[in-house]
Amino acid sequence: MKKRKLTIQALPFMLPSMLGMIIFSFLPIVISIVISLTDWNGLDKLNAQTMKECMVGLGNYSEILRSTEFWSVLWHTVYYIIFYIPLVLVMSLFIASILNKNMKGIGVFRVLYYIPVLTSWVAASLIWKWVLSPQYGIINQLLSYIGITGPNWLTDKVWAMPAIVLASVWKDMGFYGLFLLSGLKAIDVGYYEASRVDGAGKVRQFFSITLPLLTPSMFFCIIMALINAFQLFPQVQIMTEGGPNGATQVMVERIYTYGFKYFKMGYAAAYSWILFVIIFVLTLIQMKLQKRWVYYES
Amino acid sequence: MNHKEKKKILQEIGTYLTAVLIGVIVIIPFLWMLSTSFKSKGALMQIPVQWIPKEPSLDAYRTVFSRFPLLRAIGNSFLITGSYTVVTILSASMAAFAITKIKFPCAEGIFKLYLASMMIPTQVTLIPLFVIMNKLGLINTYPSVILPSLFRAFAVFMLVQQMRSIPNDFMEAARIDGAGIFRIYAKVIMPLTGSAIATLTVTTFMESWNDYLWPLLMLSDKNKMTLTLALNSLNGQYGTEYNLLMAGSLISMIPIIIIYACAQKYFKTGLMSGGVKG
Amino acid sequence: MKKKMLSAVLTGVMLASMLTGCGGQGNETPAQDTQQAQTEDQTEAQADGESSKESIDISAVNAGEESVEIIYANFNASGGNEETLNKMYEAFREEYPNITVNIETIGYDDYFTQMQTRVAGGTAPDCYELNIENFAAYANKGVLAELTGIDVSGYNATALSAFQVGGKQYGVPGNFSNVVLIYNKDLFDQAGVAYPDDTWTWDDAMDACEKISALGDDIYGIYQPITFNEFFKVAAQYGGGVLNEDKTEFTINSPENIQAAQMMINKIVETNVQPTESQMGGMGDWDLFESGRLGMIPTGIWAFGAFTDACEFNWDICVEPGGTQKATHFFSNALVVNADSAKKEAAATWINWLASSDAAAKMRIEAGWDLPAINDDTVLAGYLEITPPENRQAVFDSLNYLAVAPIIEEYSMMADIITDKLALAASGELTVEEALNQAQDECSLKIKL
Repeated sequence: MKKRKLTIQALPFMLPSMLGMIIFSFLPIVISIVISLTDWNGLDKLNAQTMKECMVGLGNYSEILRSTEFWSVLWHTVYYIIFYIPLVLVMSLFIASILNKNMKGIGVFRVLYYIPVLTSWVAASLIWKWVLSPQYGIINQLLSYIGITGPNWLTDKVWAMPAIVLASVWKDMGFYGLFLLSGLKAIDVGYYEASRVDGAGKVRQFFSITLPLLTPSMFFCIIMALINAFQLFPQVQIMTEGGPNGATQVMVERIYTYGFKYFKMGYAAAYSWILFVIIFVLTLIQMKLQKRWVYYES
Repeated sequence: MNHKEKKKILQEIGTYLTAVLIGVIVIIPFLWMLSTSFKSKGALMQIPVQWIPKEPSLDAYRTVFSRFPLLRAIGNSFLITGSYTVVTILSASMAAFAITKIKFPCAEGIFKLYLASMMIPTQVTLIPLFVIMNKLGLINTYPSVILPSLFRAFAVFMLVQQMRSIPNDFMEAARIDGAGIFRIYAKVIMPLTGSAIATLTVTTFMESWNDYLWPLLMLSDKNKMTLTLALNSLNGQYGTEYNLLMAGSLISMIPIIIIYACAQKYFKTGLMSGGVKG
Repeated sequence: MKKKMLSAVLTGVMLASMLTGCGGQGNETPAQDTQQAQTEDQTEAQADGESSKESIDISAVNAGEESVEIIYANFNASGGNEETLNKMYEAFREEYPNITVNIETIGYDDYFTQMQTRVAGGTAPDCYELNIENFAAYANKGVLAELTGIDVSGYNATALSAFQVGGKQYGVPGNFSNVVLIYNKDLFDQAGVAYPDDTWTWDDAMDACEKISALGDDIYGIYQPITFNEFFKVAAQYGGGVLNEDKTEFTINSPENIQAAQMMINKIVETNVQPTESQMGGMGDWDLFESGRLGMIPTGIWAFGAFTDACEFNWDICVEPGGTQKATHFFSNALVVNADSAKKEAAATWINWLASSDAAAKMRIEAGWDLPAINDDTVLAGYLEITPPENRQAVFDSLNYLAVAPIIEEYSMMADIITDKLALAASGELTVEEALNQAQDECSLKIKL
């Protein structure tokens, strides 16, 4: 009885987003499952008959999983994530704590740090191509002052992926930083006052109040960063196009290439469902683990 | 001046210095963007790099302004992005409210479904979604680019995360005062989510403003063209003129920066300072 | 909970099948259909257009029919030539007042993603532009209408032949650019080497390269990108090719091809008259030439404008050196008609006019917007008057040796595989022979011809 009442109460609130989800997300996703079971080329008209004609069952999946390319592409993606997520989290936490200080003129920095987020990836990638240019780029010029010959960043197999991590952290840290900031702001000042009365120092306050109360925001950032990192694409497409020699080929880059360059849309769809399973499992693990470390007040 | 005050001042100076250092790192690439936009075509690739263009020129801006009906494009962009943002905020906050505060049966299940929908790369759903829009007869209409904002999993996720940290006491207190469910949503929960809504407004506005593949597919009518679409036609088959691209990108960034600056004051007010303390 | 999810999934599937089920007719196979359509065409050519499914007879169109409105999408006018295209359209309207063309000019970067989506979604424009890589795929997949009855005498024959698949014409060459050897006269003077001429082979060029490279640490003889595009042309210069004659087998590691690839790669790894990736330091090849540090660069005639603006030294052009024979590149975009369009006649009339009419050709030359792919020397003559380069005649001389790209359905994949392997050879990780052997194996494995 109570359940029904709750459902009726929730219905008007859920209706718009449910409707949007079914039409604009769920349906296309279901269709893409069907596509992943075909060898559709992405040019013939998309309808039931075409799908029936080019049905190949699970062929795409087994072909992908048996190819050596898939595993190296997966490794590149994981490699990116291992560097990107800790770096971007530390940097954004750092930014958030600076911006949270009640000092004059801090508003200027709040705008400043957000500028990379506001820039489109097209412009940002072009800028970074120049920043990373081995002989004329600013990074290698700075390195040369301290006697280091910088690498050929984007054309060096070893350095291309770290370079992309660097650019991505630069672009994204303001975004997560701002989100963590809104988490910081939401912490009741009363907690700090109370702990000060108890004689707690700044460090202890950070670990016993700030961090625990920030965990919901951190959790959000990690999940989002993970999902986004697996879908890393525009910066790779513009900065390296998957090169040098495939060293920066990542999942979505492959999906795009197969679907829109090689006209193997079925293969691309299967690729993205494999990607989905990977992200899904990892997110599920995160969700399970969150009970151990994420702290909700209510 | 006692010891404690000295320490405080030193700390502040330290913080400022770090803030400036990060600021410099962040801003250098952007300054290059600015300087490129004021270069003439010839000065673009000169070595050594000209930090400050020797002969600054407004050519790039002039060209950008003359190539397409800029004002009309900006108007369209505002119309689309504005509606998109409003719809996103409304729809997502309502859903997040129902999921976290009404806790109807299978709220968690639906929430997980929402999350899962973010994990499929948009590249493969592009053609199916296009076909659906075609069947709905929406191609070449503004709704085709606005309606998808009804469902933005990211926004719901973000607000759910924020609303979860609002203690339920507030709801109970309001309920005892006799407030209905809509009133609780509008007058209690929404104000308490203020700074997250501000963040979301900025990111949604920015995403919609910068989005261009979907509008490109949907709006072929020149009169409905957005600013990003107009700027896209600057890139040609045999390479891009960087000064034009940078000038165009800068022009298109101005509205977002203004919106961001306006949203500033909402970041400052924390959750609890609203005075609703239980 | 589980039940709800399941039922939601089921509704979704049902909805999906409904949506897709009511879509238009399935895709007919082009081969059997064209024949039928061709015969139909002869009898119903002037009908409303619905009748012919896959092929279209341009010659059957006459002006003064009832008015039609068509959509034409292109990328070539983006980046500065939109005005010229509009002018061309105005001239077209005077000749064909009954045909209204809605021109959509879209930036190059995402043009093909949006076009593929529109084609698959069943709402492709009536006529549109395709680059050569995509043309191959589109034509093979049967989404283009065959163009019959064109007056081919007006077109450059090689360019026209590039857009034939299985002996059928699926597109007309809309614009045309070829590749010549551009050289820095000042560097040749300093090195005391005679200017290159049309008789040069790569051996002559290599001699010159070494002398020019000797001028300084930062100066290089030549830059020739190590890509598939460059490779198939150089292979042709040595009598090789990546496919056998009837395109049934790859011949990537043939002795001629190995000789060609060796010439390309030795310049980098052995003599170093061409900079390595790290010596390039992230600069583009044009930048290197414009900064006066490069002796020669085989590149497209679309570089003329940029070089005229940016180069502070004297430069000129000649026909690219050859191996055992000459072969030169050209780039051309196909103008095609959508096989599903209801207004194929009008669409074909427009693209044919745009590609080959004197009026359009003249405007194209005046605007410096590529070359029209026509063979009328009097129209082309205007092109010769613009300098630099002084030796503009070389642009036309180069046309005598055009090499046609090996068009196959999976062109992009083949190109990527070969480019990747050549890059490995250029970085010294593989020998040239190993690289081509691997490319041969990988192409044969992944691509069905």
